[in-house]
Amino acid sequence: MPTKFRGVMQSPVTPLKADFSLDLPTFERLLDFHVRTGATAISWPHHKGESLNLTIGERKLFAQAAVRVVGGRIPVTIHVSALAVENTMELARHAEAIGADGILAITPYFWAPSLEAIHAYFVRLCSSIALPVLSYNSPSYLAGVEITGDLMSRLIEQLPNFVGVKEASFNSEKFLEISRAALPQRPDFALLTGVEYLLPSVPLGGVGSYSAAGSICPNLCAQLFDACVSGDWPRARELQYKISRLWILFRDQYPSSLKGGMVMMGRPVGPTRAPLPTASPERQAYVRSELERLGILDAEPHGW
Amino acid sequence: MATTFQPGLVHTPATPFTREGAIDLDRYRKLIEFHLSNGAETLALPMHLGESVSLSDSERRTLLEFVIKCVDGRKPIIAHVSETGTVIAAALAVHAQEAGAAAIIATTPYYWTPPPRMVLEHFFRIGSAVKIPFFLYNAPEDMQGSKVNAELCLKLIEKLPNFAGVVDLSFDWQFMIELISDAPIVHPGFQLLAGAELMVSAGAIGATGMFAPLAGIAPRLVRELYELCRDQKLFEARKAQEQLAALRQTVKPGGVASLKAAMRAMGRDCGEPRPPVLPLDAVACQKLVGELDTIASLRSEPRGW
Repeated sequence: MPTKFRGVMQSPVTPLKADFSLDLPTFERLLDFHVRTGATAISWPHHKGESLNLTIGERKLFAQAAVRVVGGRIPVTIHVSALAVENTMELARHAEAIGADGILAITPYFWAPSLEAIHAYFVRLCSSIALPVLSYNSPSYLAGVEITGDLMSRLIEQLPNFVGVKEASFNSEKFLEISRAALPQRPDFALLTGVEYLLPSVPLGGVGSYSAAGSICPNLCAQLFDACVSGDWPRARELQYKISRLWILFRDQYPSSLKGGMVMMGRPVGPTRAPLPTASPERQAYVRSELERLGILDAEPHGW
Repeated sequence: MATTFQPGLVHTPATPFTREGAIDLDRYRKLIEFHLSNGAETLALPMHLGESVSLSDSERRTLLEFVIKCVDGRKPIIAHVSETGTVIAAALAVHAQEAGAAAIIATTPYYWTPPPRMVLEHFFRIGSAVKIPFFLYNAPEDMQGSKVNAELCLKLIEKLPNFAGVVDLSFDWQFMIELISDAPIVHPGFQLLAGAELMVSAGAIGATGMFAPLAGIAPRLVRELYELCRDQKLFEARKAQEQLAALRQTVKPGGVASLKAAMRAMGRDCGEPRPPVLPLDAVACQKLVGELDTIASLRSEPRGW
């Protein structure tokens, strides 16, 4: 059976009120916006959703809201990575209890765990729930800690619910080592990239991506995916270059600039929690000028 | 100035040594003929796997002159001129131009880890010492993590009209996309080349050429991958890509010692590496040969010279 985690999946930002508390009505509108504009799945709260700046209670509250608002229209996965592994376990059980379609979990933070420790972590996590588990590989943000091809292969062999990876090394060699290890063993293993790096990954067996810019340009996301899966490489290149310029624009102090850009698209979602800054009016104006230069402002939906 | 030289598929020969450790020029002549008759469109030498850093300054010059004479204009030659000191590298660049190389290539300086401003100056002085095209070799894996970013490349383009392209061994999608979506606007004809046989992603992004350190082992597979990527048959290229990735992972841990052992297994003995690199011991050699046997595509590769 082909994986249900494919295409460009959206991970909403976390809307906040001026006092930095959670803004539930705006979150509901945002979820609905993503579903209506072509997201193939919802996943929350990624780092872009300020996951590590939220309390465990807040994460549970909005996870529940996500499952409720999406209402089965597309799959919903919950990102359960937390500083303390015990919190991750709790969030995973919660995700299962509220009826999510899966969870996503990064290699543990801070400890720079060995391959054996990463192995033990995923075995424990996957064995604690019946939900599908997507792993998350991000060596450049985690001091080189990563799931190697060999480790991926062992986890697939042992764990029936270890169904995919969000691969965020953005590196040909690392991606190939994982795809060569995973796909022969589990042909429906979901090879996904972080951000919209579809052009370099789809020809190697990638089936989709998460998205940095989907709250700004959902049309561009869908067009890029279509161009890649149909093998229209000149068009895919043009679209990939464009969406990658947006990533360069947003990755600095992510997601502050992204939230700033959303104001310019008529979808304000409030400030960003410290230690991240909130995009200043000057920064917002700069983002707007870049969106205009890239032809995004007129080609993408305004407002909710 | 637009660059017209398109290196395409670039073979990077090993450097054969005799038992006594001298460069084996007879063997080298054979090896060069092997590369020319097995798909090379350009040669680049001596790269790191050609043990450039284990050759004396005069050996590098002699070697280049020898190859240019052997090839006799049949294919273009890119001279690798990386050095620690900027002036020494620039002198090698001048020699390469005088000897008749089609282009030069250089990486970040060895050992020093200078700030970007000095790296920029290093490349500028090497590139501006000559009129032939200059390729920048971005090889963090070889250089203990030292690498360039797109911003530095764009600054260099503005200063250096013969800066023809980047040969990328970082495999970094963010870098490659940022570079190739901007650089050709400033400098038409600017090229991105894959620095090893991982070309599907690079080719999707816009790479037009490929350096092939494994061509001495598996030239047919290398050629197949290159042609499919060049023709933008990227889905079709995946199988060859995966086979070459497997070969790369087999050879990679032992570096040049493994490369030479694998070439010997294919009937093309180029001797052992020079010190301080040690040859593979008998057990490691046997393990390597066993692993090569599991790569199906190698069965249809040429044996011997």
